[in-house]
Amino acid sequence: MNNFDLLDRTDTINGLLARYGVKFGIYKNGTFKEQLFPFDAIPRVIEKEEFAYLERGLKQRVAALNLFLKDIYNEKKIVKDGVVPEDFVYAASGYLVPCEGVTPPKGVFSHISGIDLVLGKDGVWYILEDNLRVPSGASYPMIARELCRRASPRTFNETPIEDNRNYAQLLKHTLDYVNTGGLSVVMTPGRYNAAYFEHSYLAEQMRVPLVTYSDLEVENDYLYFKGYAGRKERVGAVYRRISDEYMDPMTFNPESVIGVPHIFDVYRKGNVALLNAPGNGIADDKGIYYFVPKMIKYYLGEEPILHNAPTYLPFYEEDMKYVLEKFDTLVLKDVAEAGGYGVVFGSKMTKAEKEKFIAMLKAEPRRFIAQEVIDFCDIPIQDRGQVVERKVDLRAFVLTAEEPVVWKSGLTRFSRNPDSFIVNSSQGGGFKDTWVLSQ
Amino acid sequence: MGTKSVINTDRLYWLGRYSERVYTTLKLFGKSFDELIEQMTQTDYSKFCSTLEIPNIYTDKDDFIARYPFDPTDPNSIISNLTRAYDNAIELREEIGSEALSYIQMALYSMQKAKEDQAPAIEFQDVIDDILAFWGIVDDQIDDENTRNIIKVGKRVERLDLYARLKMSRVDINREVQRLAGRIDRCSLRYRTQSITELLDAVRAESLDYPAILKSVESILEV
Repeated sequence: MNNFDLLDRTDTINGLLARYGVKFGIYKNGTFKEQLFPFDAIPRVIEKEEFAYLERGLKQRVAALNLFLKDIYNEKKIVKDGVVPEDFVYAASGYLVPCEGVTPPKGVFSHISGIDLVLGKDGVWYILEDNLRVPSGASYPMIARELCRRASPRTFNETPIEDNRNYAQLLKHTLDYVNTGGLSVVMTPGRYNAAYFEHSYLAEQMRVPLVTYSDLEVENDYLYFKGYAGRKERVGAVYRRISDEYMDPMTFNPESVIGVPHIFDVYRKGNVALLNAPGNGIADDKGIYYFVPKMIKYYLGEEPILHNAPTYLPFYEEDMKYVLEKFDTLVLKDVAEAGGYGVVFGSKMTKAEKEKFIAMLKAEPRRFIAQEVIDFCDIPIQDRGQVVERKVDLRAFVLTAEEPVVWKSGLTRFSRNPDSFIVNSSQGGGFKDTWVLSQ
Repeated sequence: MGTKSVINTDRLYWLGRYSERVYTTLKLFGKSFDELIEQMTQTDYSKFCSTLEIPNIYTDKDDFIARYPFDPTDPNSIISNLTRAYDNAIELREEIGSEALSYIQMALYSMQKAKEDQAPAIEFQDVIDDILAFWGIVDDQIDDENTRNIIKVGKRVERLDLYARLKMSRVDINREVQRLAGRIDRCSLRYRTQSITELLDAVRAESLDYPAILKSVESILEV
């Protein structure tokens, strides 16, 4: 595949990304900063057949996770049948009591699922984590593709690549499908949120209002968008990019000043769809991750198509024993953390750090999971004029309306540090476009 | 898009005002900068400050040249006004579009670049070009008439405000009053109709009463 003219224009494309304000926010020492998200023009290429396999696996996984959410907030059969221990449900921070007995419009819980995968050097794709709350990242390959096509039309003329610029249509359809009547809106916590660019860009692309708490109000069990001069319009679907705990101070964190009082009551009465559904955090909890393959068998009666990274729960005595024995070869994750934080490699700890960590592990075994370190594949990136190999992951997006649909692209993130497995933008990583070949 | 939020209406209006403020003050400063090359005394830049009713916080001519355009801690500096335009624009992407927003973003980059340059005045041309392009895109690419008109009303109000302070000619003031009067009815902004009547009367009067014009402009949204 000849895409040299595209690679030659990497700096131009990064210049255009800066021009269009393609940034993410980060807090360092209590100060908010907007940073550009470095783009590497060497694409990640996924063959058609390989993507078809991923697509089947991702649809299966998201279907099972949706069934799990419906079950856990209603009948709890999976707990009663002993497949998932109740300790892992009720002790999880993502399990929200107010969501008990609530089924969202059309029964969809995870409308937008961001599933993180890596390709191991053994050629196997592993799921690293499921993000079912407010997964971000789709906007970056969307806009990068637009600019790459401008930079090198020949590349796209000569290479059979699935067009990824339909994400906004897929997302709008997802909103419209569950809309209970009225406007669909994107709700942002505001400009100082890390993913604000994405919130505003998706609102622009879908041609829907971008709103904050101050633009919405609840009246007589319905949600309204407040306009200038007293005009009001009913809202039927909210793509909310605000965490559960801040969404409604009357139901969740009473100190939240960025939520809409009583919005949860409107949702509970079926008068508005919230995407994703509140309470989804129980299904993407790092502890629950271990049980996803079991869920697939339990709800769908199928063998999981995609693999989890081999995972151990120190909560189980047998697993604790293994973790302590193999500590130096494992990666340990704090289930309450995200964004690459709370991840430690046994091999990189000093003796004192290890002792301290093990004491913490023994005191709070439910708080951690341990995983075998997946030696995931390196792919080339451009670094100061050189082509070097770096670790990458893939965030695939699955949108669920009538049924799960996998977006034929994804966010490929890479580590800029040659010794690092951590690819998160907040940790200094960059991104690539993900090409899914159509032939 | 139909309903527009209170906050976005406000942001659109102020985006219009700040983009105009940057444009006109930059041109004005460019002219003064040219005069400053050989001379300009304390009195000259003091006059510049008093005309625009900004506090003269500058220690000398060089301090004025360095800080009035570029000091982000001075709320009256050009870069502070441009940053306010950007702060409004960045929260209006879904209203004005990424393309229009990009020109305000570029104006800010150009201003930051000018700050580092030995000859900043030559770099100001890029800032002016970016603002002109922004206004062009507002006209050409924003489909929603209300959105367009709110930005333009902001721009006209600011221009009238500055022109009255600068005691510009009747021709200039009259042109802006007519443009504002023809535009403000075509958007959702609630305004004081009496202010428009006062402005129309002012430009018909025998002599221009600049303080009265300024007062009418300042009260236009006081409803």
